Amino acid sequence: MPADETDVRLHERLIAGDDDALAEAYDAWSSLVFSVALRITCDHTAAEDVTQEVFVHLWERPHLFDPTRGSLRTWLCVTTRGRSLDWVRRTQTRSKYQMAAAAIHPGQADLDETVVWQIEVKAVRAAVQALPEAQRDAIMLAFYHHRTYREVAQELQIPEGTAKSRLRSGLATLATRLAAEGVIDG
Amino acid sequence: MNSHVADLLGAWALDVCGDDEAATVEAHLGQCDECASEAARLRAATGWLGVDRVIAPPLTLRRSVLDAARARRAPVAIRTLVETYSVQAALLHEALGKLDQPGWRRHDRRHGDVAGVIRHLTDNDAILAADLGLPRVPPARNGTGSVHEAWRLQSEILLRGLGSSAGADLDRVVTLAGKKGRQPGSLRDALVQRAFETWTHLEDVRGVAVPPSPERVRRIVALAIGLLPGALAAQGLLWPGTFRLHLTGLGSGEWSFPLGGPEANGGAEVTMEALDFTHLVANRRAGAEVPVAIEGDNHVALQVLRIASTLGCD
Repeated sequence: MPADETDVRLHERLIAGDDDALAEAYDAWSSLVFSVALRITCDHTAAEDVTQEVFVHLWERPHLFDPTRGSLRTWLCVTTRGRSLDWVRRTQTRSKYQMAAAAIHPGQADLDETVVWQIEVKAVRAAVQALPEAQRDAIMLAFYHHRTYREVAQELQIPEGTAKSRLRSGLATLATRLAAEGVIDG
Repeated sequence: MNSHVADLLGAWALDVCGDDEAATVEAHLGQCDECASEAARLRAATGWLGVDRVIAPPLTLRRSVLDAARARRAPVAIRTLVETYSVQAALLHEALGKLDQPGWRRHDRRHGDVAGVIRHLTDNDAILAADLGLPRVPPARNGTGSVHEAWRLQSEILLRGLGSSAGADLDRVVTLAGKKGRQPGSLRDALVQRAFETWTHLEDVRGVAVPPSPERVRRIVALAIGLLPGALAAQGLLWPGTFRLHLTGLGSGEWSFPLGGPEANGGAEVTMEALDFTHLVANRRAGAEVPVAIEGDNHVALQVLRIASTLGCD
């Protein structure tokens, strides 16, 4: 997969210690990072803390992001998810029910949704909804609850090989739909 | 394609396989384009999974994130500062290339006409070049082409010289340009000033406002705030308390400095648009034209703004 030119340039500037590059990355992606963090933690302060941690991490160790292996946006979202799940595990206050509710229902309704990403967000919602239920359940357990594929297999009472295959084919279907909508590169 | 690894790609993209398995997958991805391509695709889809709505973080978070980052790893500012100047110089070069003869002769109240503005800019660029031991370009003859060429050449000499000095000491003392005579300042301040002055004259040449990035507005404000106490003291202007500047809009933020008097209480607070403040410092807008809200000592606030408008380079 060819690396995105903008990401390559930004990466070089981050490594060189150009803090304007960090400001540009923040302006481009902070809404996405914050939204993913809020979605997983369901806590406004925690989402702010995670957003700060993720961008400071990018600035401190820019070589951990490799533009030849994926986009900056993907790297930020994956890192955000990891940090958010760490927070959830640390606080240990969330019941299984709350976690399940967070996975199914949108976040707090009183927050203003930014309009910039509306097309992508709509496409993502539709693509997730359109997944076969068996694949969606497996992906949701893995994504929001960070269940290993072995735990997914146990919870859904399916063989481990089936769990792995549902995760892979579910993501592949999602990727195809998101590529068709222009959300990710085909 | 290795079928054991391929089976794991979904779990790997979601980061829900064991550490050993992840290491096996990653080692394989380095050797197999087919799996690497699928892995990147699945991970890109994973990146969007949490995004079923997008909510902007509070505006105050931006500053705290950038401050925290800079505190953890100091920026290599020379590259940033040189690049900022380089971008402004490229924009001005382009704007000058499009200028016709009436454009070059357009009246300018400070320097006669636009050609005079560019000659003046070249002179100020040459001050820094000389301090850095770089060549000075001889004054341009009368043709507008040679005015453009001389400025561009001086600017390129400066950029090339700065480009080869990645480890330069930004605290090194050089000469700052200023209409009140030249004054000493750090190389850091001089680079901000070069970008600032080039931007100011880009607006003069284009005859319209050219909005800079928020980070650059903040640097210009920080430069002006850094110069203000010295400029006030040079005029014998000392008051009790602190001057606070609350800037709104593009490049918003808060700055403050003690007014030099013995008492800590008192002072003044001014609230205004950050871009208006930069235009005030550039002396492109008079204090009276700029909407400001003043709290505290009205006289002190107006005096500080008056001195701020003398900090520009012409």
